[in-house]
Amino acid sequence: MSVVSKMKINSDTALKKVGLALVVLGLCGAFIRLGFWQLDRAADLKELQKPYIEQPLIPLTDVATPSTNLSDSAINRIVTFSGRYVAQFDAPGQKDKSGAVGTWLVGLLEVNGGGAILVVRSDQKSELPKGEVDVEGRLLVRQFEDRADKSGDQLSRLDPSLLVGTYDLPVFDGYVVARSEIVDSKVLTLPRVKVDTARPSVPGYYWQHISYVVIWWLMALVVLFLPLYGRRRKSEAKNEEERI
Amino acid sequence: MNGVIKRYRVMAFAAGIMSLLLWFVELPVVYLLNNPDLEAKVKWIPFVHGYVYAFYVLAAIHFTARARFTIKRMILFILAGTLPVASFIAERRVMREFPLT
Repeated sequence: MSVVSKMKINSDTALKKVGLALVVLGLCGAFIRLGFWQLDRAADLKELQKPYIEQPLIPLTDVATPSTNLSDSAINRIVTFSGRYVAQFDAPGQKDKSGAVGTWLVGLLEVNGGGAILVVRSDQKSELPKGEVDVEGRLLVRQFEDRADKSGDQLSRLDPSLLVGTYDLPVFDGYVVARSEIVDSKVLTLPRVKVDTARPSVPGYYWQHISYVVIWWLMALVVLFLPLYGRRRKSEAKNEEERI
Repeated sequence: MNGVIKRYRVMAFAAGIMSLLLWFVELPVVYLLNNPDLEAKVKWIPFVHGYVYAFYVLAAIHFTARARFTIKRMILFILAGTLPVASFIAERRVMREFPLT
């Protein structure tokens, strides 16, 4: 075998080794990152399961923007905003804090500054207020499961995406359960709905995420172990051949 | 070798049973039925499955290394614990190739 072809084989082997090392490091890094991701989810879940500590009042537009998913920090905040109601719906099958199931009165309010938001006004019938309304209420995450059928003036669930296409307005994610409405400096006297703060939005359980951390990091170790195993296997086979 | 095979068999059965429970009990209850009481009753399944799988991986590596399997076969044995019946199939193959003495 010539010196040139020997050098070519050596450089091919070196390239293969570098390639393998890069693949191993890449996979190992990916598995370690996945482990950290699950660890973060476990930590988030633990944090969200703690009792909610009430935050100061904040304007809606400081914590949310239309056509954008609600951030975790915005959920459960008591927000204030002003605007005009453009429509009103019934939302049947809604459960309040006491567990009573009823039909809630929900308004679609066009917020000053742009966008519209769903506002749970009451659990009793009421006329839609005319003119500018100042609303204060708790911002909650949208519902994902239907509680009733959807029709023209009935919402199957409290989810602004149901109204996209019907109203030519960008909508805020989630909905607000109003605790007060002021029209022309007069507080509207309506029985208000009382609700629990939103439950954690991270799916799964704490120890489930921790078990996934264990698995991902174990996989990272397996990826590091496999090339060593392959090398040991080769050298054992070579020794066996030499013995024979 | 017998001890290694026995450990692998036990973990293959445990991982297979936990995978069956996960795929055909826990996932349908959580994603198809809207029943929080039932969900609370099956919430132990995913994390027990997680830990059992971790031990299955260790047992599979120990067995395949002792049996001097190729890396490709070792990877297939590790992955067999993620599918409901694959670990049972792997266990049957092991018993055919390595009958206990």
